[in-house]
Amino acid sequence: MSVATPYHDQDAIFSFWPRHNETLLKRLESKDAWLSTERGLDVSRIEDALEHEMTLNIGPQHPATHGVLRCVVKLDGERIEKCVLDIGYLHRGIEKLAESKTYQEFMPYTDRMDYLSPYANNVAWCMAVEKIANVEVPERAQWIRMIMCELARISSHMLWLGVGLMDAGAVSVFLWTFQGREDLYNIFDEVSGARFTVSHSRIGGLASDLSPKAIEMIQDFAIRYEGIIQGWQKLLNRNRIWIDRNKDIGVISADEAIQLGLTGPNLRGSGVAYDIRTFEPYLKYEEVDFTIPLREEGDCLARYHIRVEEMLESIKIINQCLEQMPEGPIRTDDAKKAYPSKDEVYYSMEGMIHDFMYTETGVAPPKGVASYHAIESPKGELGFYLESDGTGCPWRARLNAPSFTNLQGLESMMEGHPVADIVVLIGSIDPVMGEADR
Amino acid sequence: MPESLKFHFTPVDEAHADEKNVHEKASTDVADTIDILKKEFPDGISDVVVYAGEYTVFVTRDSLVEICTALKETLGFSYLVDLAGVDRFTEDAPRYEVYYCFVNIHAKKRIRLKVSLDEDDPVLPSITRLFKAADWNERECYDMLGIQFEGHPDLRRMYMPEDFEFHPQRKEFPLLGIPGSLPLPPRTPEGGLTMDPFAAARQGSPVKSYQEPESEF
Repeated sequence: MSVATPYHDQDAIFSFWPRHNETLLKRLESKDAWLSTERGLDVSRIEDALEHEMTLNIGPQHPATHGVLRCVVKLDGERIEKCVLDIGYLHRGIEKLAESKTYQEFMPYTDRMDYLSPYANNVAWCMAVEKIANVEVPERAQWIRMIMCELARISSHMLWLGVGLMDAGAVSVFLWTFQGREDLYNIFDEVSGARFTVSHSRIGGLASDLSPKAIEMIQDFAIRYEGIIQGWQKLLNRNRIWIDRNKDIGVISADEAIQLGLTGPNLRGSGVAYDIRTFEPYLKYEEVDFTIPLREEGDCLARYHIRVEEMLESIKIINQCLEQMPEGPIRTDDAKKAYPSKDEVYYSMEGMIHDFMYTETGVAPPKGVASYHAIESPKGELGFYLESDGTGCPWRARLNAPSFTNLQGLESMMEGHPVADIVVLIGSIDPVMGEADR
Repeated sequence: MPESLKFHFTPVDEAHADEKNVHEKASTDVADTIDILKKEFPDGISDVVVYAGEYTVFVTRDSLVEICTALKETLGFSYLVDLAGVDRFTEDAPRYEVYYCFVNIHAKKRIRLKVSLDEDDPVLPSITRLFKAADWNERECYDMLGIQFEGHPDLRRMYMPEDFEFHPQRKEFPLLGIPGSLPLPPRTPEGGLTMDPFAAARQGSPVKSYQEPESEF
C-alpha cells in the first residue's frame, strides 16, 4: 500500500472510520450556511480574488485547535463558506464512569474535565453533591473555595491570553503568562500538594486549611499580578496588530449569542449580563464587591477585554476574601456527610469506621431526587445535574460543560471569515476539549 | 430502635418533605410560571416535583414544543442551558427521560422540564427550530441514549464515530465497553485496522507471574 497523497487518493485519506468521515463530509455539503439562514447574507457571493472551492480539514491534531478539535471547512478561495466541527476525540465517557463511582470518588475525575482550572471543577462538583444531599459547608471553607476558584479563573485566563497571542503571532506574552501560571502552580502546590490536578475540595468542605505560607503567597500574588496584568493591558489594548487581528472578527449579537447558547465571557462579550456569580450567587459572592465586565461589540476583541478585566476583578475578589475570611473549621463535622479529620481517623475507632464507611458508601441523597447546581467557571456556566437512586453512587450525573456549548456557537461564528482567522476564533472562545468531550 | 443507633448510611428512601435545603436558590422558585403554564396547558403537564427548591415540570411529549414555545415567546425563558437524557432502566414505568433546563436572564429564573419516553418508542420532537442551542445537545442525547429527535436537521452522533453501533450511556451497555466494537488505526503503515488494545489484551487470560519467561540476566 502506498502512502496516501491528498487529492489523489481520496479513499485512502479517510480509510479510517470511513462511515464517520463520509457523513461528516456529506453534512458539510448539505448544510445551509448560518450566515445565509440567520443573517440573510449570500456567502457564496462574497467576492474573493481566488475563485477556488476546496474542503479543508483542520485537526484533530493541530496545535492551534487547543486540543483535539477537528474543523472541516468549506472554503471559497480564502473565505470560509461553512464549517462543521467534529468533536469526541477525547471522549472518555466520564458521565458513565460517574455512575459507578461514589460521589467523593468521582471528584478527582472532574480535575480532568477543564484541566486549565481544576479547582473550579472540584468546587462545582462538590457543591452539586452538597445540594442534592443537603450538606452544609462551614464559612471558612466557602471563603477558601472562593479564593481558589478565582485563582483558577486567573490561571485559565492566563493560559488563554498567552496561547491566544501565540495564535496571533506574539510569542513573548506566552512566556510571561506561563510565568504567572507557574506562580499559581506553586500556590496550588502549597495549598493542596498537587500543582495541576489539585483535587483539594471535599464534599462538605476542604481537604486541608490554608497554611500561613499559602496565604502569604496568595497575598503576594495578588499584589504583584495586579500590576503585571495592567502591564499586559498596556501592551495590548492599543496594539495595532492585536486590534487588527481581533476587531470585528466573529461578531455575535446579544440575541444570537443567547440563541446559540454561548456562555461565560463569550456571552458577556455580546452584551448579555449573565454570570452565575450574580445570577444565583453561590459561596460568598454576595458579600464581596466586584463588577462583571460587559462589552457590547461581540467580537474577539470584546472577549479579550472581558477576560483580562475579569482577571483584575478576580484579584479584587481575592483581596476581599483574604480580609473577610473568618477562622473556623474547614469541613462539616457531621461524619455521615463528610470525611472526618485525620486526627479522628488515627486516634479514634469511630473516626476510623466513619472514614471507611465514607470511602465505601459516602453520602447518600434520598432516593429518586434530582437537582442541578451550576457555578461560573472560567469558561462559563459549569453545571452538574445529579439524579440519585438512594445509594452512594449517582444514578445519573450530567455535566453541563461550557466549552461544549461555546463550541457549538463557534461553528456558526466561523462562517464568512478568512481561513487565517480560524485560529484566532478558536482561541477567542477558549474551548477546552477535556470538558467539551466529557 | 433509638434514633441515635440508626445506621445512617443505609440509603434514605424518601426525601423528607419538611427538610429545608441549605443550598436553595431564589432563581429556581418558579411557582408562578408553573401556574401560568398549568392554566394554559391543563393536559400538557402531568406532574410537578419539587426538591431542594427546584421545580421539575413533567410535560407530555405531544405538548412539549407548544410549552417550549410559550416559555420562549411569552414567558421570557429564551436561553436553553442544558438538555440531556436519563436512562431510568425500569420495566414498570417509561424508561427514558429527557430534561430541558431553561433560563430567563432578565427575571433571573431557571426552570426544568422533563419528558418521559417509552422504551419501544424513544422519539421526541426536536426543539432546534426554537432554540438553536439544542442542536448539539440533542445529538449528544441521540448518541449516548439512542433517543431520536424528529425534525432535527442533522442527527449525527456527537462523540462516537458513525461506525459505532451502540448507545453507550444506556444502563445495559457495559462500563468496560464492548471488545472489538471500535476499530483503531493501524499500528504500522502497511497494517490493517486494529481492534482496541483493551479488547486485544483481554482475549487471552493474563499471564501469571510464574508463567513469565525467566530473565536472561
